[in-house]
Amino acid sequence: MMGAALSRWTMAFFAAALVFFVAAQSLIVAGYGFPAIAIEAPETLVLVHMVTIGWLSLLMCGALFQFVPVLVARPLVGARLVLPALILLLAGLVCLLCGFLQLSGVIDPPLSPLGPASILLPAGFFLVIGVLGATLWYGRPLSLPARFVAAGLASLVATAIIGGLFALQLSGFATVGIDSRGTALSLHMSAGFGGWLTLTAIGVSYRLLPMFMLAPDKERLSSRAALWSGIAALLLTLVAAPVENSFGGPGVATPLAGLAALGTLVFYGIDLVFFYRNRKRRKIELNSRSALGAFGGLYLSALLIACLAVTGGLGQHAPAVVYLVAFGWLSGLGLSQLYKIVPFLTWLECYGPVMGKKPTPRVQDLVVEGRDHVWFALYFAGVLAGTGALLANQPALFRLAAAATLAATLALVVELVLARRLFNVEGSMRLPAGTTQPRLFLPAPR
Amino acid sequence: MSVPHYDLDVRPILREGGEPFSVIMETVAKLAPGQGLRLLATFKPVPLFHALGARGFESSAREIGNGDWEVLFTPAGSPAPAPQAALPEKDGDAVWPDPAREMDNRDLEPPEPMVRTLEGVEALVPGETIAVLLPREPVFLFEELRSRGHAWRGDFEPEGHYRVVIRAAGADPAS
Repeated sequence: MMGAALSRWTMAFFAAALVFFVAAQSLIVAGYGFPAIAIEAPETLVLVHMVTIGWLSLLMCGALFQFVPVLVARPLVGARLVLPALILLLAGLVCLLCGFLQLSGVIDPPLSPLGPASILLPAGFFLVIGVLGATLWYGRPLSLPARFVAAGLASLVATAIIGGLFALQLSGFATVGIDSRGTALSLHMSAGFGGWLTLTAIGVSYRLLPMFMLAPDKERLSSRAALWSGIAALLLTLVAAPVENSFGGPGVATPLAGLAALGTLVFYGIDLVFFYRNRKRRKIELNSRSALGAFGGLYLSALLIACLAVTGGLGQHAPAVVYLVAFGWLSGLGLSQLYKIVPFLTWLECYGPVMGKKPTPRVQDLVVEGRDHVWFALYFAGVLAGTGALLANQPALFRLAAAATLAATLALVVELVLARRLFNVEGSMRLPAGTTQPRLFLPAPR
Repeated sequence: MSVPHYDLDVRPILREGGEPFSVIMETVAKLAPGQGLRLLATFKPVPLFHALGARGFESSAREIGNGDWEVLFTPAGSPAPAPQAALPEKDGDAVWPDPAREMDNRDLEPPEPMVRTLEGVEALVPGETIAVLLPREPVFLFEELRSRGHAWRGDFEPEGHYRVVIRAAGADPAS
């Protein structure tokens, strides 16, 4: 019966994440990295890690520091480690990006920055995992969304360790004997995209969707099936397949993992349809409507993978699949939920102290949905066009599509800043006595 | 405002094996408006907290030695006589008055359940309670209740929703 306070550094995580997201898209528009040059070129690695660590992982960490205490109804364990984790992650990411820039020949530092990156990034992620893992541990028994998050964090362990070994190997400080272009790379990607980012995002959506659409959120059989088939897919990919590989087995683990992943998507799809169909709130808000674009991205990527697997073009078109997963599904869901979470937390931070005592604006008054649905439409249209451009091998069209997603992202960032500044709230209602204006992304002074 | 408490010592009745309840209730009926009752008893009269709580009295009990208890029943809204037990962990075993109001905030979108609950709480006189049904465990509400000094007790109901009873604290330092 304990409460959960507002997470102090979540807005700082969100701000850093959005900076990386805008920067990465700007580089794509400028023609940096793939598809102008090879997919495995250091320039492409710069882009990929700006999106996966800088944008998606920082976004997810910031959200989880707020979300996990709510899920287990108890305060964060080790909350004072959250800021050090952010600093380690940012320092590690800067080192990683500098390391890739060195590999591409842009800079020439005396020592490879990949060495410190191989320490700082895993250290930052392990702090995150430690704080969130301990909070979950003391909050047992875990609800279904919390179990998804726990599975996601376990995958983050694998992702961070493999990534750290890659960086160490590439730095030249130590010979790890790991092939950063072979099986280990697919493990790194599966654990990162499939385990850490996707399972966690699914878990978060299992709570947020019913909450904001007033849909029944009792644990359902299909939800449990989605969780267990997801865990099975991960174990088959990360453990069974490498073991089978090293013993020269018949190669059944990977197809089985694909089947299990498909099972997760099917069961999750059943639940999504259930949530939207059984919602008590008929007119849903923009965050729930725009999330449909993200779910479209998820199922379209699954369809694309299936089609490419049948036609044998999966290897050639893997970039299009990765782009659709990262920008359509994960980033789409991230943007749509930021559009709700930022105003909601801002409202709670500002008006919580006078709630029930004085009239306050509604959460919806912090944003102007009428003009913002255009930006979500532009964003998802850009992602679709970008995926098509990659499949059709049209680099110029891909940059144009990226310009569309960048413009939409920038517009939404402006809206989030306006929400933090309470800009859209009518003047007389904005700051009643007893309230203080929240800071843009730093925590309120204690 | 400060009418002295009416003193009633029921220890002799109790020691003789008697039942002081009717005497107490007769005394309560004769109290002046705003007047409280100071009761001396040989045990902590928990059932009375409930009975008089329903009549709008706040109770505060302290042991005065030899197993005897002094209980102050103060009409809610009067200045509190003794240090008040406001935090949930301090008054875990006290009996609260029946809820002055019941609210069903289950079918509201966040943060409306929290807003309406706090509106209900702020409308209570000190010591009164309100019972609220909520769609889920209200973790942000707990933080706000804690910072305002209100006490609460709550748990999940078999149907899956959460029921919380909140007791209003005395003067709110934040307002």
